[in-house]
Amino acid sequence: MSEKKDNNLNSPSKLNDELRSAITPAAAPSALQMREMGPLRALAASFGLPRLIITGFLLLMFIVAPFVGNDFWKQVANVINRFSWNAVLVLAMVPMIHSGCGLNFGLPLGIISGLLGATMSIELGFTGVGSFFAAILIATPIAIVLGSGYGWLLNRIKGGEMMIATYVGFSSVSFMCMMWLLLPYHSPTMVWGFAGKGLRTTISLEGFYDKALANFLAIKFSDDFILPTGTLLFFALLAFLMWAFLHTKTGTAMTAVGSNPTFARAAGVNVDRMRLLSVILSTWLGAMGILVYEQGFGFIQLYNAPFYMALPAVSAILIGGASVNKASIANVVIGTFLFQGMVTMTPTVMNSAIHMDMSEVIRVIVSQGMILYALTRKTEGGGR
Amino acid sequence: MEENKGFGAKALEFVRNNIVPILFILICAFCIPLSGFSPAYLINEIVTRMGRNIFLILCLLIPIMAGMGLNFAMTLGAMAGEIALIFVSDWQIWGIPGVVLAMILQIPFSILLGLLCGSILNHSKGREMITSYIISFFMTGVYQLVVLYMMGSIIPIKHFSVKLPRGYGIRNTVSLLNMRQCLDNLLAVNIGGVKVPVLTFLIIGVLCLFILWFRKTKLGQDMRAVGQDMEVARDAGINVERTRLISIVISTVMAGFGMIIYLQNMGNISTYSSHSQIGMFCIAALLVGGASVDKASIGNVFLGVILFHTMFIVAPKAGAAITGDSMIGEYFRVFCSYGVITIALVMYETKKRRNKSRTAQELARAAAEEAAKEAAK
Amino acid sequence: MKNGKKLLIRCAFVAALLAVAAVMMVIGRGHTVYFDNKALEYNGQTCGVPYKVVVYIKGEQVAKLYNKERGMTTHIGQNFGMALGITQEKGGDEQIIEVSQKLPYSMDGVIINIPGFLAGLPEEAYLSEFIAEPTAEEMQDDTLTGEEDELVIDAEF
Repeated sequence: MSEKKDNNLNSPSKLNDELRSAITPAAAPSALQMREMGPLRALAASFGLPRLIITGFLLLMFIVAPFVGNDFWKQVANVINRFSWNAVLVLAMVPMIHSGCGLNFGLPLGIISGLLGATMSIELGFTGVGSFFAAILIATPIAIVLGSGYGWLLNRIKGGEMMIATYVGFSSVSFMCMMWLLLPYHSPTMVWGFAGKGLRTTISLEGFYDKALANFLAIKFSDDFILPTGTLLFFALLAFLMWAFLHTKTGTAMTAVGSNPTFARAAGVNVDRMRLLSVILSTWLGAMGILVYEQGFGFIQLYNAPFYMALPAVSAILIGGASVNKASIANVVIGTFLFQGMVTMTPTVMNSAIHMDMSEVIRVIVSQGMILYALTRKTEGGGR
Repeated sequence: MEENKGFGAKALEFVRNNIVPILFILICAFCIPLSGFSPAYLINEIVTRMGRNIFLILCLLIPIMAGMGLNFAMTLGAMAGEIALIFVSDWQIWGIPGVVLAMILQIPFSILLGLLCGSILNHSKGREMITSYIISFFMTGVYQLVVLYMMGSIIPIKHFSVKLPRGYGIRNTVSLLNMRQCLDNLLAVNIGGVKVPVLTFLIIGVLCLFILWFRKTKLGQDMRAVGQDMEVARDAGINVERTRLISIVISTVMAGFGMIIYLQNMGNISTYSSHSQIGMFCIAALLVGGASVDKASIGNVFLGVILFHTMFIVAPKAGAAITGDSMIGEYFRVFCSYGVITIALVMYETKKRRNKSRTAQELARAAAEEAAKEAAK
Repeated sequence: MKNGKKLLIRCAFVAALLAVAAVMMVIGRGHTVYFDNKALEYNGQTCGVPYKVVVYIKGEQVAKLYNKERGMTTHIGQNFGMALGITQEKGGDEQIIEVSQKLPYSMDGVIINIPGFLAGLPEEAYLSEFIAEPTAEEMQDDTLTGEEDELVIDAEF
């Protein structure tokens, strides 16, 4: 409430009118311009050195793999599988980046909503593929509620979003650690056998929604290579919806808020509402993302598992070419592919090539290095 | 009547400004009786932990002074300290000489890491905290690369108690049995069953004096100016980048010393995890003591350590007493650490915004008055 | 001029630190010293084994050794001084002698054969290196526990 008052005070109504008439025509194209400012130049600018190195590294891995005795198609299948698990989580970064809330380090909050949906769906007795959709249905309102609270908080602390997002994520995960023990779950598949209460750290999804999407229309090339068509389609659907949304009036307004809040406000966009909406969207996508991940992975991981799930997603979208305040669906696809490719290929290839598993270390250095790189770049467009 | 109201408002203001410590005092007051620990045990534990942790927490003060927020990258200093200790235990230098040698040895490492960290932070002004947070993760990866793959293969490490049997890499835990608590035990005084590590406290005292003195030096004044307003400081002829760099280097070197004090008390190094949580816990402890992102004093450090560690000691037992499950307490104290940092960050950002909008309002009012004057003319 | 002086002070400071470090390297070297009370043969000459040897270090008893027994202690630095309480025969009187021994810097574990030492044999006869055999637990390749960036909840702090 006080927020709105401040805004009004900041821009006296007389000035506001002037600004609106002067800027509105320019503001809209400026957002458009950003997206279509010469595709070649944009590509050259965005395809920075780190991305080039990672792409080269991945290509090298693919080339080397057959020579050191790894089945090429098995590797490809692995990468595609991992891609299908993680893509939605990475997609969850997009709305908040668009609205200028920065990288969503608070992704664990969305994940918590997803986990609540998943566990409740099983608790309520849903089985098979139905349990997946039940989980989505239950997770959605939770994500909206948590997302609204989170968005409200982020609106109060504009400028410090990323750090606070990180700690909102951490606090919520550690809070839920207590809750998983205390909430009255009873389903014998989920609780500790001897105590009869308190959820287990990992819950198998067999008989529930294990591979619920992946098996849908799955194409079997060989024993090792089964294309998880359903999961990819689900991601494509969400990605398309995201893309379409960003092209609606609301979506454009959201982008405008991210690229230039002052002009957006002058153009009559309710900045806070746009940011709130983007945070809710991000949180909801985070919930969907973890459900998709679980159905591919086959297990629900509770307690400490969500703690650091935001970091791989953040670095994936950055590797894909996004920056702190600019991201597209293409960034998501490329980034997830490169990141998951790197994560899945390096251990196997390295192990068979030099019998030394440095993949973990490489993963940490590359992913954190990528985030670091993005943070040290001058914010593009922010001050324009 | 009026005075009463003034007092009430003042009390409210006080509570608002010190919400975190007050909350913690309440938590502790609630948990201590439930935990059933004897006061002697509790005091003993707290004194030990004070000796162990205060040095580490003090290293956070200088970057705060320079306006760089909470230095999550103090982990880098901790890593430098660990590397130095690994070398020292490989060379089998024991006791006090071992500690002193490790402290000298860690200086070049931590200066190097501090310079690296500081120059990265100079490229990301305005979001130092998240950047330093990511730097700590990034350097954890580099640290692993060095310790797990390069030590023993490229960097000479020989002793079997340190090196993994496969020929390279450092063991998961490196025992410091031969220098365990050697600082704490030297000059230790036993007061009513409470062991007071006098030497450790003396070292801490020296550091406190150093910080107090440092604030008054030219460099310290510069740092405060930079922390207040970078642009104004730059106009005043202060080399902002250099000042910020130095503040991070000092913090990192001090964190290295702190980590060595911490580890000699613990008696072993968990090579791959000792440093990972250190930053988070130290920052939480500092904030519990009533510090904020832009203001922290030595008093905050002491109060914070006492409150935070009381909570840390009693929470598992108290949690078990309430719910019958000791894990609840463990999770609760982690939740508290994260929660405190979150609250402190939110309070800091809202305050910053409030101040900003107040300035903007004043500017607008001044502009309006000016316009009115113009119109009157 | 002022800069030169500053540089000089800094160099002196660094040199002082290095010197302290070097001193620490020497005086801080830790050794584990083992005492053997068993017969030693050297150049065809055999030393007699006393009935009982008690080892005192700084007035504290660290080992009491009968025939063929071994005791141990740890020591920091190279100048190792001890007092030996020797009882030659059962029921005999204890005779205390103060002795000191230089420990080789390169040895982690040092075995001192007391009868040999008392007989005044040359150093290479009674002093030998103890090569610790890593215990099974220590041999275990305790490789990394997977997830590095996972939070350790029970982190001792």
